[in-house]
Amino acid sequence: MSSSDKPSAVLQAATPTPPEIKHVPSSRKPVRAAIKARLWLCIYLPVLPLEALDRQKRTTARAVFEDEQGIRRVMLANEKAAAAGIRPGLSVNAALSLLPALQLEMRDLEQEERTLKRLASWAEQFTSFVCIEAPTTLLLEIAGSLRLFEGMVTLRRRIARGCEEKGLTAQLAIAPTPLAARWFAKADREACIDDMALLNRPLSVLPLHCLDWPDSVTESLGGMGITCVGDCLRLPRAGFARRFGAARLLQLDRALGRAPDPRVSYRSAEQFCALHDLDEELDDRELLLQVCRQLLLKLERFLLTRQMQVQRVQFSFFHLRSAATHRVLCSVQAGRNAEHWFELLDIQLDRMTLPEAVISIRLRGGPGQLSSMATDNLLFDPSIKPREGSIACLVERLNARMGEACVRGVATVAEHRPQYAWRPVSVSDTAPRGTVRPDGGNEQPLPLKLWRPLWLLQEPERLASDDARPLYQGPLTLLDGPERLESGWWDDDGIARDYFVALTVNGVHLWIYQDRNKQAAFWYLHGIFG
Amino acid sequence: MASGLQGLPSGYPGLDRHLAGGGWPQHALTEILLEHYGAGELKLLMPALARLSQPDRDHDPESTGWLAWIAPPFQPYPPALVQWGIDLCRVLIVRPREESEILWAAEQALSSGNCAAVLLWPGVLSVAASRRLQLAAEKGGSWAIAFRPLSARSQSSAAALRILLSASREGTELHILKNRGSRPATLRNVLRDYADA
Repeated sequence: MSSSDKPSAVLQAATPTPPEIKHVPSSRKPVRAAIKARLWLCIYLPVLPLEALDRQKRTTARAVFEDEQGIRRVMLANEKAAAAGIRPGLSVNAALSLLPALQLEMRDLEQEERTLKRLASWAEQFTSFVCIEAPTTLLLEIAGSLRLFEGMVTLRRRIARGCEEKGLTAQLAIAPTPLAARWFAKADREACIDDMALLNRPLSVLPLHCLDWPDSVTESLGGMGITCVGDCLRLPRAGFARRFGAARLLQLDRALGRAPDPRVSYRSAEQFCALHDLDEELDDRELLLQVCRQLLLKLERFLLTRQMQVQRVQFSFFHLRSAATHRVLCSVQAGRNAEHWFELLDIQLDRMTLPEAVISIRLRGGPGQLSSMATDNLLFDPSIKPREGSIACLVERLNARMGEACVRGVATVAEHRPQYAWRPVSVSDTAPRGTVRPDGGNEQPLPLKLWRPLWLLQEPERLASDDARPLYQGPLTLLDGPERLESGWWDDDGIARDYFVALTVNGVHLWIYQDRNKQAAFWYLHGIFG
Repeated sequence: MASGLQGLPSGYPGLDRHLAGGGWPQHALTEILLEHYGAGELKLLMPALARLSQPDRDHDPESTGWLAWIAPPFQPYPPALVQWGIDLCRVLIVRPREESEILWAAEQALSSGNCAAVLLWPGVLSVAASRRLQLAAEKGGSWAIAFRPLSARSQSSAAALRILLSASREGTELHILKNRGSRPATLRNVLRDYADA
């Protein structure tokens, strides 16, 4: 990046011109700084479009192009390509004629965003406040992190090293306002300014092209001899706002700290989602499981840094031809332990047939919930899972294989209509110690005289009858009854029934009723005494 | 879960007398063969199940004493279960979607150590499968009860106890076909003992 104005690269009013903008952290007024001031570290990734696409092909001449209304123009070229004369703005055809061996790739904004988000998630280890300034910039608020990371210089060095390890070319700058930090980073000034009072000078000398203003604006300003921020600041405010927009003026004010510049922190998705592309199609169960395990370990780390846990995760297996296979794993208790999820996945995979080989695997962690730290021990054991051997463990295994609705508990409901006198409940409802009675008291077992059958039919079964006498595998003998149940007239499912205990010729005791609502008084079988 | 030899009182003195250990064989598989449902098969088990479902002070109440019903042919009716003294908080109803899953679920439940009893209605039960259930019951200290059709009578089985129930208007007859540690027998009207009590 160009830095045209060496002479005025001044930091402090008192000290004249250090050759490079390098500020020794001011030790003055530490208290004031610690309380209020914010400090922003900007990570600017100048060649992200190239690096986001890069897969170890750094040595060849490469360029990224963009489609501008049907015209494909080079957007960014690497050094080797640039050496051959490939410049941004060149049309693709012209670039290829200059350098036939040029590797041209379409710019992939989504991929860039993913890379940026990954970097943001990584940066969250340094501060809780990271914001993404698309398309190529991250801002970290680091005032609160300085102590932990032993000052600006050390922190900055760590971040620089981290970017390098990730294969990203980064330009870093630190300033008390986010915009100033951003502009410094773009200008590739190694700025390290932590005092608002010291901001004015170095900011003034920044060339305008660092400000991300449209070329037309920069050009027309340039035509007036205005080339740096300081020149703009000397213009009358009202006139500047009228000609170049109030928004630009506001930007300048914000950069100087004259106007507040609130930012929204990027919370790296609370929802975990990771995709693993396989090098080749796989259908070997063990190998697939290995990949899944890696994904689950990632999930575990993700949740651990956020003090979160999840109750369900979803695996998606993508195939080349068939539709993707999705598998949801549910845990009775939220957790993040990879091994635990792995166990559940293992059970599911057992009964799962994949339509064809798998080309990529995606893992999503359901909505996270904050983990209760109560279960963690002093050694900071990351595993929170149902206690080995608890009923939750069993239910979870059953659910994993058969689906969630397959395992239920039951409860009674205070209701006269037999079909409504009970309801299924989820096992975790009944599991807590003590008893949770769904009907809230009124837990009087029916009087022993009124025996209820142990088996209830889902739907009453209409019985044939002979001369108004019910038949079931032959004529029935009525042993007991009638017990008249008349209830529910207030909703649409009212009943008026006479229940009897009947004995079949085979010696089976049935619970039958005669419907009194209807004219024809049919007989129905509703239960078996078992 | 100490001995496994002591029988679990069935609640029917007439039956206990004929069972090895004076009750239902614990940590083992019991098979109940019947022609049609409603022959008194549940009534036969209820007193023992009720006792099992009551919280055990010595053990973790959350994780023990569960009664798992796997693939029951009808809905076990909670009001009736309560009448028989079953603690509904310990009842687990499992409805596998496929027949092949019944045995798998039963094995899981039996060997988990959470279930005091596992009732299952398998479609078919091979000798090998019955052996697995028997082993799982031993492992988890549980009581497996498999309900099977009369046609299974001629099949051999690894069950510790096989009982055939035949109902008639005169009452339920109970044939003890196989009884590890004791003799086969035929009993009449044992189920009345409890009802009258």
